[in-house]
Amino acid sequence: MKRRSWPLLSVLAFGYAFLYVPILLLILYSFNESRLVTVWSGFSFKWYGELLHNRQLLDAAWLSVRIAAVNATIALVLGTLAANALVRHGRFRGRTGLELLLTAPLVMPDVIIGLSMLLLFVALQQTIGWPDGRGFSTITIAHITFSLAYVAVVVRSRLARMDASLEEAAMDLGARPLTVYRRITLPLIAPALLSGWLLAFTLSLDDLVIASFVSGPGSTTLPMVIYSSVRMGVSPQINALATLVVAVVALAVVIAGFSLRRR
Amino acid sequence: MPSPSDRRPLESWQDPKAAPYVRIDRVTKQFGDVYAVDDVSLNIFQGEFFSLLGSSGCGKSTLLRLLAGLEYPTSGRIYIDGVDVTDVPPYSRPVNMMFQSYALFPHMTVEQNIEFGLKQDRLPRRERAERVGEMLDLLRITELRKRRPDQLSGGQRQRVALARSLAKHPKLLLLDEPLGALDKRLRENTQFELVNLQERLGITFVTVTHDQEEAMTMSSRIAVMDAGQIMQVDTPTAIYEFPNSRFVAEFIGSVNLFEGKIVAIQGDDVLIEAQFGGLMRMRSLQPHPIGTPAVVAIRPEKLRLCQTPSDDGVNRLQGVVEDIAYLGDVSIYRIRTGGGTLVEMTLTNIQPRTEQALTWEQEVWVEWSPTSGVVLTD
Repeated sequence: MKRRSWPLLSVLAFGYAFLYVPILLLILYSFNESRLVTVWSGFSFKWYGELLHNRQLLDAAWLSVRIAAVNATIALVLGTLAANALVRHGRFRGRTGLELLLTAPLVMPDVIIGLSMLLLFVALQQTIGWPDGRGFSTITIAHITFSLAYVAVVVRSRLARMDASLEEAAMDLGARPLTVYRRITLPLIAPALLSGWLLAFTLSLDDLVIASFVSGPGSTTLPMVIYSSVRMGVSPQINALATLVVAVVALAVVIAGFSLRRR
Repeated sequence: MPSPSDRRPLESWQDPKAAPYVRIDRVTKQFGDVYAVDDVSLNIFQGEFFSLLGSSGCGKSTLLRLLAGLEYPTSGRIYIDGVDVTDVPPYSRPVNMMFQSYALFPHMTVEQNIEFGLKQDRLPRRERAERVGEMLDLLRITELRKRRPDQLSGGQRQRVALARSLAKHPKLLLLDEPLGALDKRLRENTQFELVNLQERLGITFVTVTHDQEEAMTMSSRIAVMDAGQIMQVDTPTAIYEFPNSRFVAEFIGSVNLFEGKIVAIQGDDVLIEAQFGGLMRMRSLQPHPIGTPAVVAIRPEKLRLCQTPSDDGVNRLQGVVEDIAYLGDVSIYRIRTGGGTLVEMTLTNIQPRTEQALTWEQEVWVEWSPTSGVVLTD
């Protein structure tokens, strides 16, 4: 591209600014010395230091990471199984139903998912006594229900693009179905599995709405803490924490992007 | 171009005592309402280079996949080496297949690809390495052994795929369009190489192809398929010279078809009243009732071109030269006959072209002898 068209470039710049200036401001102010979020008074790591001593924030962050990791792992297994069924098993009974139900969580409003989950857990508690109080497990289960749909979408498109004769060739050479899956299918869809896992991880990490419905006392996730503390006035610690979260998410996205691009 | 199949001494399919190596017994494969393979029975013998020939969608690939175990028949049985393998899964069959797309594992090197099948058999490491070396040698791809499939050319991939499918020393190798993805020059060389390899290893080959020239050059026998059924099974020569139906005659090479009705039998010959308004006398050993509609099929190179008619009055047509296509070694002439039909014939250019007497719009006679074609009554 030799000739640059300035109007086009400025539109592009505006687009990027629209998307990323707020985040850049947040990162910038996390290094602000002042207690006031909107006044710049000098560069400092002060708020990162204080963040390290804020038990409430750190506990919430740790809970969120644990939920996100467990959620991503279980969603990966279930989503991959669903994708396999849809791509490799032709027209089985209930296929259309599965397809529909699997994609529904992608378009279902979070509020609805959260509310319905809450109703389910309350009803379960009244009839079978489980879950005994809401917290880690209820949030994780609620997150799995919608993130597995995302995993299924990612893995499914990868499986569909994979040449089915590769699996047939492996079978023809004497490999049993499980070996074929382990030695041929899994290595070839590995990039999609990685990005599916990361996607599920980040979806869970920044979910506020659903978690608010199905969490209980003493189990507050990071987004919930940030949201409630903002209402009481933003502490620059939140900026510092948010910067760290942005860094983690950005890293995850970059890794996912790279692993999908490789073949 | 001498056909390698002419060198072949064994003709097991003619030996009534020989047991077929592959026996396909009334096999049908349905996909929904479609009959991909329709009541096919076929015997293939040890050491054959057998080709399934047909246009796309005729069921030839499905038949091959049935042999590999990648599809299971709706009805009928398949026997390999006397054993009923109809319900045996692909990983337990003594058969290997070379896929049309080659299906090389992209995350493995050439070496690992070839070794894959040996690993499944739990061969000791030493033996595996030996076998891989042997295959690399056989196909002259030793220098490629550390490469991955995406670093190979089409021809190289084909050799790797072949090496991988031969590594387990199968008794029966299935090849799905083995030369389909190669360019013309490479294809011709590879044809001969495949045949040599097959003769050297003594493996039974069953290939699928839509390319009749390829099938003619390589095969011991050809099965011509159409709409899930086998139309004719025979040697390349027999398929070309003695097609058993109008479909086979038209499918293989070019042919002139003259329609008519059988009016008399004279010894080994039948007399046919042709629609173009003359008499045809053809050699035919099959019994035909008088009055049967019949088609006489004659290949373009078996017609003669004369300036004046010979005197016996049968097997001849008058026309004018409408088209001449000069191909170097031969020329194709299209003769427009009195009835309006076009007759195609090829003549070898024995003389340099400038000395040839024939030109456009010239009046000529097209003639043939009773043994230069077949009578079809289907």
